[in-house]
Amino acid sequence: MIIQAARWAGPLDAYLIPALDGIAYGLLLFVAASGLVFCFGVANILNLAHGTLYAIGAYTAAAVADGGWATLLLALGVGVVAAAGAGGLLAGLLAPVARRDHLTQALLTFGVALAGGSLLVTAFGPDNLPIKIPAALDGSVAVAGHRYATYRLVFIGVAAVIALLLYLAVTRTRAGMLVRAAVDDADMVACLGVSPARIRLGVLAAAGALAGAAGVLGAPIIGPGPGAADTVLLLSLVVVVLGGLGSVLGTLLAALAVGEIQTLGVALAPTAAPFLLFAAMAAVLAVRARGLPGRLRTGLRLRLRSTA
Amino acid sequence: MPFPTRTSRRRALTGALLALGLTMATGACSSDGDSAGTPGTIKIGLLASLSGTYEAVGTELRDGFELYLRMHDGKLGGHKVELVVADEGNGAPTAVPAATKLIKQDRVHALTGVVGGGSVAAVYPLLAEAKVPFVGSNGRPELKDVSRIWHTSYLSEEPGAAIAQYVRDNVRGEVYAIGPDYQGGWDELRGFTDAFAKIGGKLANPDGRTLWTPFPATTNFTPYFAKIKASGAAAVYTFYAGTAAVDFVKQYAQSDIKDLPLYAAGFLTEGGVLNAQGEAARNIYSVLNYSPDLDNAKNRSFVAAWKEDHDGSPTTYAMASYDAAAVLDKAIGGAGENPTPEEINSAIDGLGQIDSPRGTWQFSETTHSPVQKWYLRQVRQDGRALSNTVVGDLATVGG
Repeated sequence: MIIQAARWAGPLDAYLIPALDGIAYGLLLFVAASGLVFCFGVANILNLAHGTLYAIGAYTAAAVADGGWATLLLALGVGVVAAAGAGGLLAGLLAPVARRDHLTQALLTFGVALAGGSLLVTAFGPDNLPIKIPAALDGSVAVAGHRYATYRLVFIGVAAVIALLLYLAVTRTRAGMLVRAAVDDADMVACLGVSPARIRLGVLAAAGALAGAAGVLGAPIIGPGPGAADTVLLLSLVVVVLGGLGSVLGTLLAALAVGEIQTLGVALAPTAAPFLLFAAMAAVLAVRARGLPGRLRTGLRLRLRSTA
Repeated sequence: MPFPTRTSRRRALTGALLALGLTMATGACSSDGDSAGTPGTIKIGLLASLSGTYEAVGTELRDGFELYLRMHDGKLGGHKVELVVADEGNGAPTAVPAATKLIKQDRVHALTGVVGGGSVAAVYPLLAEAKVPFVGSNGRPELKDVSRIWHTSYLSEEPGAAIAQYVRDNVRGEVYAIGPDYQGGWDELRGFTDAFAKIGGKLANPDGRTLWTPFPATTNFTPYFAKIKASGAAAVYTFYAGTAAVDFVKQYAQSDIKDLPLYAAGFLTEGGVLNAQGEAARNIYSVLNYSPDLDNAKNRSFVAAWKEDHDGSPTTYAMASYDAAAVLDKAIGGAGENPTPEEINSAIDGLGQIDSPRGTWQFSETTHSPVQKWYLRQVRQDGRALSNTVVGDLATVGG
């Protein structure tokens, strides 16, 4: 009888929870990937250690949070500071190769990711760690006749606030202006007396802070374990490819798209699940014809033309 | 000398005592298994993932074997053992060079361990070429010739086959089958679905086929849970391990289908993953060949010794590796004074019953893997922690 009722409630009913979950997952990817977008877009650094910064946050949540609200906030603070510090360290390591190409940076940051991953496993062990969240969040609530994880529902709200703050920071603050200026014309910003090294340090630390926040808050969703860094890096790179650089809104839309593909897409076409994400990525790249660098160049040319 | 003096008698007595002492000493020596005077050392190679994705399982394999050696004075079959440990890494590409070193350079008498079935398949030609016996304690791929291959673990189809009857008897309605899309997942789920269909069980899956989730890419199972909900299933059968097991169980407990009974191959809640799953794992039923709370003397001493230097209880992985050492112990002991790898292999063939923490078992003639009893376990409170508690015996499967 219940089954019948569910069927008559309309074909959309079964897809409600996956669609909602796609938003939670997408927002997590947004917070995680926005740091990577900044790194690549502003400092022009392809940071393959970005997933490790997320893992630092997630492991912090496992180590600090004990099921109370205070320790959850403490974990957030410690995780953000630790990951921002790691980002700053990365900027220092990258300073000698700042003028080299992406391949050099990719190799260096990849090496850092491997070493960092090993260090984390040495420190915390090879197992996936449990995350203790406040009891009020650790359950499920009724959403339109379905059960849905309370934590994820709350996470949607928190991540939306982070996204809004980020958007305001980039569009309304002086630091945000510098960031946007550096994306458009790094040389000109340097001529204006802002040290590129300082921008690089600031951007990598900020990216670390974002990844750390994503790690702490996302730990109940993508938990700390040996594979967490790789999962987050891979999905973040897909978001970067889909969303382009230098626009918070583009990153947000791309992250939500990846989230929905991973949940709603899988619910709609389970047999195609292994290929869906990368098929979507290939399609976007094909439509853009020249891919990411091409679009960047076009974008710059357009901006130059419009200022001329 | 017809009248022996007191002194000479005492001298004779001393001499006799000395002689007796010497004979006893020599007797002790020969019972050590080496009359030539130099007790031959046996080299055993242990290959396991000590880094990478399967590090947790790999360290259990290493620790289980080392524990057996420590409990037996570092000897197997009376011979001092030199254990050479090598890292299998994430699979075949790292396992092959490590195994090559163990076999060609260290010239081990036997190889043990190996987490991944793919690694076993890749190392297999090396073993065949060097004629070295392999007593594997975990992964077991499809192999044509098992004359030198032995496993103390299980075949992937067996857990599902062992629990099918119980699920058939206890679930009123159809059962949804879902599992990871790779060889291990296919084998585990086929074991269940084949046995379940044979005894008249019906799957709730719309086309009667198991739903496969991409592996290891799937971290979010919510869309699949929506499908299970829509199917009207009365219970779910699954197999996941590692990170995927943590994600599956945690999300299951907060989903639409949280009240559907969950049956699984034991790896879903085995070892470190249970700790990460926490409350979400409570009440899950699983089938496995071992549980640390089994009530037999061998198991009590094994668990007690394990807990001396580990925080938690031993897993089936550690137990299988402990048993691999027990198999080698018996085989080397029965393979003559200076056994060659070939002689050790023939000795394994004639071992018969093996007394183990899981209960007694023996190698199947055809598959060289255990014919053993499987247990039904449920995740229940055990003191402060949740633990897999044995709630009943299931079928004896193997061969």
